[in-house]
Amino acid sequence: MRKFKRRSWILGAMLTFGAIAAALFLFLPRQASNRDDPWAHVPKHPVHTEHTVTLLAGPFESGQEVTQACLQCHPNAGAQMLQSSHFTWEHGPYDLPGHDEPVLGGKKYVINNFCIGITSNWPPCTACHAGYGWEDETFDFSDVANIDCLVCHETTGTYVKKNGGYPAEGVDLAAVAQSVGNPTRSNCGSCHFNGGGGDAVKHGDLDTSLTFPNDELDVHMGKHDFVCTDCHRTQDHQIGGRSISVSMDTANQIACTDCHLATPHEDSRINNHTASVACQTCHIPEFARKLATKVEWDWSQAGLDIPQDPHEYLKIKGAFVYEDDVVPDYAWSNGEIERYILGDSIDPAQVTHMNSPTADITDPTARIWPFKIHRAMQIYDSEYNYLLVPKTYGEGGYWVDFDWGEAARLGAEATGLAYSGQYDFAPTDMYWPITHMVAPKEQALQCDTCHVENGEGILDWRALGYEGDPMFYGGRAARLLAAQSAVNSEGGAK
Amino acid sequence: MMFRPRKWLVVLVVMLTAWLGVAGSALADPSPLHPVFPFLDQDGVNVLESGRPVSTMQTCGGCHDTAYIAEHSYHAAVGQDHSVAAGQVADGRAWDMSRGLYGKWDPILYRYLTPDGDALFDLGAPDWIQTYGLRHVGGGPAQFSLDGADLSTLSPARGDPQTTSHDPATGQDRAWDWQASGTVEMNCFLCHIAEPDNEARKATLQAGQFGWANTATLLGSGLVEKTADGWLWDAAAFGADGALLPENVLVQSATSNNCGQCHGAVHLENDPLICADIKASDWSSMRTGQIYSGQRLSDSGLNMAGKEGLILPWDIHAERNLKCTDCHFSLNNPAYQQESELTRPDYLTYDPRRQPLGDYLYRPNHDFAKGDTAQHPLAPELSDSMRQCAECHDSAETHAWLPYAETHMNAVACESCHIPKMYTAALESNDWTVLTLAGVAPSTHRGVEGECGNPRDLMIGYHPILLPQADADGVTRLSPFNLITTWYWVQGEPERPVRLEDLQAIYLDGDGYQADVLAAFDANKDGQLDETELRLDSDFKIELIRRRLQGLGLQNLQIRGEVLPYNISHNVVSGQWATKECDACHSDDSRIAQSLPLAPYTPGGVTPTFAGNSGISLSGDFTTDSDGALRYAPNIAAENLYLPGHNRLPWVDIVGWLAFLGVFAGILGHGGYRLYLSAKNPPPAHELKSVYMYSFYERLWHWTQAIVIILLMATGIVIHRPDQFGAIDFGLVVPVHNILAIVLVINAVFSLFYHFASGEIKQYLPRPAGFFSQGLLQIEFYLRGIFRGDPHPFAKTPERKLNPLQQVTYFAILNLLLPAQILTGLLMFGVSLWPDLAVHLPYLAPIHTLVAWFFVSFLVLHIYLTTTGPTLTADLRGMITGWDQVEAHGQ
Repeated sequence: MRKFKRRSWILGAMLTFGAIAAALFLFLPRQASNRDDPWAHVPKHPVHTEHTVTLLAGPFESGQEVTQACLQCHPNAGAQMLQSSHFTWEHGPYDLPGHDEPVLGGKKYVINNFCIGITSNWPPCTACHAGYGWEDETFDFSDVANIDCLVCHETTGTYVKKNGGYPAEGVDLAAVAQSVGNPTRSNCGSCHFNGGGGDAVKHGDLDTSLTFPNDELDVHMGKHDFVCTDCHRTQDHQIGGRSISVSMDTANQIACTDCHLATPHEDSRINNHTASVACQTCHIPEFARKLATKVEWDWSQAGLDIPQDPHEYLKIKGAFVYEDDVVPDYAWSNGEIERYILGDSIDPAQVTHMNSPTADITDPTARIWPFKIHRAMQIYDSEYNYLLVPKTYGEGGYWVDFDWGEAARLGAEATGLAYSGQYDFAPTDMYWPITHMVAPKEQALQCDTCHVENGEGILDWRALGYEGDPMFYGGRAARLLAAQSAVNSEGGAK
Repeated sequence: MMFRPRKWLVVLVVMLTAWLGVAGSALADPSPLHPVFPFLDQDGVNVLESGRPVSTMQTCGGCHDTAYIAEHSYHAAVGQDHSVAAGQVADGRAWDMSRGLYGKWDPILYRYLTPDGDALFDLGAPDWIQTYGLRHVGGGPAQFSLDGADLSTLSPARGDPQTTSHDPATGQDRAWDWQASGTVEMNCFLCHIAEPDNEARKATLQAGQFGWANTATLLGSGLVEKTADGWLWDAAAFGADGALLPENVLVQSATSNNCGQCHGAVHLENDPLICADIKASDWSSMRTGQIYSGQRLSDSGLNMAGKEGLILPWDIHAERNLKCTDCHFSLNNPAYQQESELTRPDYLTYDPRRQPLGDYLYRPNHDFAKGDTAQHPLAPELSDSMRQCAECHDSAETHAWLPYAETHMNAVACESCHIPKMYTAALESNDWTVLTLAGVAPSTHRGVEGECGNPRDLMIGYHPILLPQADADGVTRLSPFNLITTWYWVQGEPERPVRLEDLQAIYLDGDGYQADVLAAFDANKDGQLDETELRLDSDFKIELIRRRLQGLGLQNLQIRGEVLPYNISHNVVSGQWATKECDACHSDDSRIAQSLPLAPYTPGGVTPTFAGNSGISLSGDFTTDSDGALRYAPNIAAENLYLPGHNRLPWVDIVGWLAFLGVFAGILGHGGYRLYLSAKNPPPAHELKSVYMYSFYERLWHWTQAIVIILLMATGIVIHRPDQFGAIDFGLVVPVHNILAIVLVINAVFSLFYHFASGEIKQYLPRPAGFFSQGLLQIEFYLRGIFRGDPHPFAKTPERKLNPLQQVTYFAILNLLLPAQILTGLLMFGVSLWPDLAVHLPYLAPIHTLVAWFFVSFLVLHIYLTTTGPTLTADLRGMITGWDQVEAHGQ
């Protein structure tokens, strides 16, 4: 009897509370909760093992010795790094339209409109190679000892690389080795902030101001103290992300939607934009917000003995234009580009596009993206009409002898291109997608930044393929449908 | 920060120098559509020939029906077309002659149009143009006399206000030569070119060169120049045929910037909004703080409190690219025109019939859709011709989260929540009973720390007062207002304001005050009058001023005070920034009951009255703070509004507390005495036996009810006094309370069915036979027997669990309190479904509260009485286990 009573008491209590709880659960109005939780996607940072004196006692005579010490405990890291584009500087091969043979990408092969190409110019370029000793074409990419672990993992800030990627004189390799940890913004930044030969030169949205950015400059790295690998997630030394400056496909992309919802705004009017407008377009209203970035480079004016200023003119490089607080250029992009490959012919009367986005308004996967466009005048073979990689560094290089003809000849020889002996300078441009320096939402673009009745907003609607401001002329849905049905009828005809 | 003009220049330069890309845009966009046309003077002669001012009626009249336009424009008529003799305006002042700018006194500008026949002259028609006319588009009273004659045909005659100008400096009247001054035609340029020179227009009006005012609007366009020799038309801007060259045709649809020239600060540019952008002539901004801009407050250059966090645009409609004319459209504009729901047949949601565009362009109605604001009683026939919020917005779509949504919509205008705050300063009061050294009324502003107008002053903003106002649909809703209070002297019979020049004469003497004024006002004897001294706050000062005014021959001197209500309908914020917290209103410190300070003191002790017929329900009270400041406090109760969480009847809580404390005191006394006796003299133990008293179901429903009731009390007190439970979300507690109530009712229904079906109901029915004597026995037991350790007078058996007192108590609870509570509760909940029930809240809610108090009191007594069983915990144990201990006597 007692037992039964106790059980009935518990049963009764459960029934009572259950009924009340169920009623509340069923009928309480629910807060519509489609808010995303980006933090759920941010990688946790494991505590890094301290590599104290006992683990890496030293002394180390060379970088290679450090690497070998590392590999004793991390035997897989070597093989992983040998596959990494940070070591190979090579992507592909890609089947590119207009090319019979598959072409190779990566810094090793593609050219840009800054210092143009690494072939024949290796030592200064490879100072940023995650390896040791790449000074000519004979570099051994299969030797794990040539991997530079320190440039990404040291945390003292005293590790400096010189030409060929070797540690600079005076670096205390033992101290540096013992400091290793997870890569910080400084590690990645030591190369990526200084692309193009100096701080802030190349990207426009990557420079040393991001080492310790404030909240306004970059909401992720500033306000939330992100490190690069929080977004550029890395597994087995394969680092996430790529850029159209060296890559030619859309694999291994990083997206805002890795953490954020595709439609994260409270206002559906704004959410309706995300199918056609990249997050970056509104959330990075300007780039180069601390340090000016190079937007124009005229090689043709090099060689003059006139007053020099690293932001305006250098005898070895020519004339520059730098800008800060730059409002980006905007273009449709789905990540795919048309790539200039060394040897492709050019029309010197036209601007040659190094890597222009191929998408247009009729591509449903394309969105309007912000770009830095870097414009240059660079050397080409005026008889064969293709761009040349001039030898600038070292013996016979332009930076030594200021002889374009000889530089062109030596560069052509190294790249295996025929050189006619005639050179001139042709205009080129290069697209740099803007994706860092995300401003706090308080500074995101507002409606009237783009939608202005008299058409003076920052977007040129007609150039983008709209008939006019889509607020008045309608969005691109009709265009997409038309494009889709064209594709379908084409398919039907086949 | 983002869009400095310099940067835009850089961008522009980059665009232009780009090697590739689209050619840069033209700097000044000529009209893509508008044909070329010649500029004609009043006689239809090309101005290049005549050199005379351009006539808009002739020039634009070449294609548009300008006569129709001028006739259909309250902007032009400004009340003149409906003007009446002084004092005949309903709810107007004795010197008001219309409901518009022409004839309706603006106590803030102070000068008044002199009614015909007045001995004292303030403003004649030409003077009106030079003052009020600065924000008048022309036409109407600037062109025609009251009887419709062209002013230029009137012969100069002194004495008639229409042909007389009064010079306040000399006090002299003079006949006005309209022929020489010209008149002001309705100024098409002011609203239809991108950059009209409004300042030049105003300066030309003030100089009395009325005929040239519209031409002056074109200065800076390159068409005309003002030289020392006069106005010169630039023939190079015109073609050989005398018509404008196409690139000089700058005609456009009116933009918000055009409207802003007279109405208030409109800032659609990217550069930061700064103090200088809010000009004294932006009277709508000065008087309410309204600013039409899509810029974020945080991006402005104003010194605002908490600015960093103010990342909202000044007005969401401005940010979303709406222009003034999107809501205030021309009434026959085919793009906007839509028949009112009131007259549209039920079977139509949209009437597609439109007049042809060409007809509209020929005769565009320049009466624009308008709301119905307290400050604009002009053209009442067009009130609420504007689209209402709900005609564009589907509030049901966005307010699903809002409990009692329809009730809220019926009680509160959209603006009340969606214009939660004005972030800048606004005029608060003007005291024309005294004058500053500048010869104007000292004024005070709200929403600013320091003297308004100094860019260093910190704008703290203000919350508009919410007053009930009848809306277009006939429903009275709370709407946001600024209240501007002015005091002034009136004199004479019929009453007129004391003229500014007379005030200046008695107060001022050259650059200083009159000696006896200074002596009377200068309390600290520093030779200057600060803002606390420059006040008519003593009989002595009042009499002094009265005497001095009498010295000018003025009679019947009185001080009047009036409150001008200004509706606030711009500076709308999106839902994210709207007032959403329940306790903003449902709390002691309710937004809805919030009073508004009117003035730092009450000049002459004269409590002001509300001006005009504003459609506002003025049930509130003027109160005076301890420091003498005057405020206006709305009276919610008088509006038959009952806000749970805010409104409480004090006597309900007093009665409730008395009931609760009475029971509690009785228990303390009774229980304490029992404890005392039992400690001193342990009661004899009665022989006890276990009886299975309560079935499983009885215990289940009892405890369910017990828990639900306790939770209802807990949530109820939060709803009753949310201010005491700040950490608890009012918006969550209300639905929890409602759900618990439903559980309680369902449980009660089941239990009632059980008691009927099982016949147990008879336990609750007092038996008439011997009821009183049995009741008395039970009372006697509680009063005496229990202390002596007597056995209970009635044996508790499963067949008869309740003693007579319990029976009568439960009978009352189940038949009176519970039904009353369920009914009132249900009706209060029903307000969410049938908003019309809301009018009954003022008595439903107090009953519900009072009964709740009784329940609380009962609960305390009930729990105490469980200790009066055979042992202290026997009854409690019995209700938990079902097995009760009863005395084994008499059975």
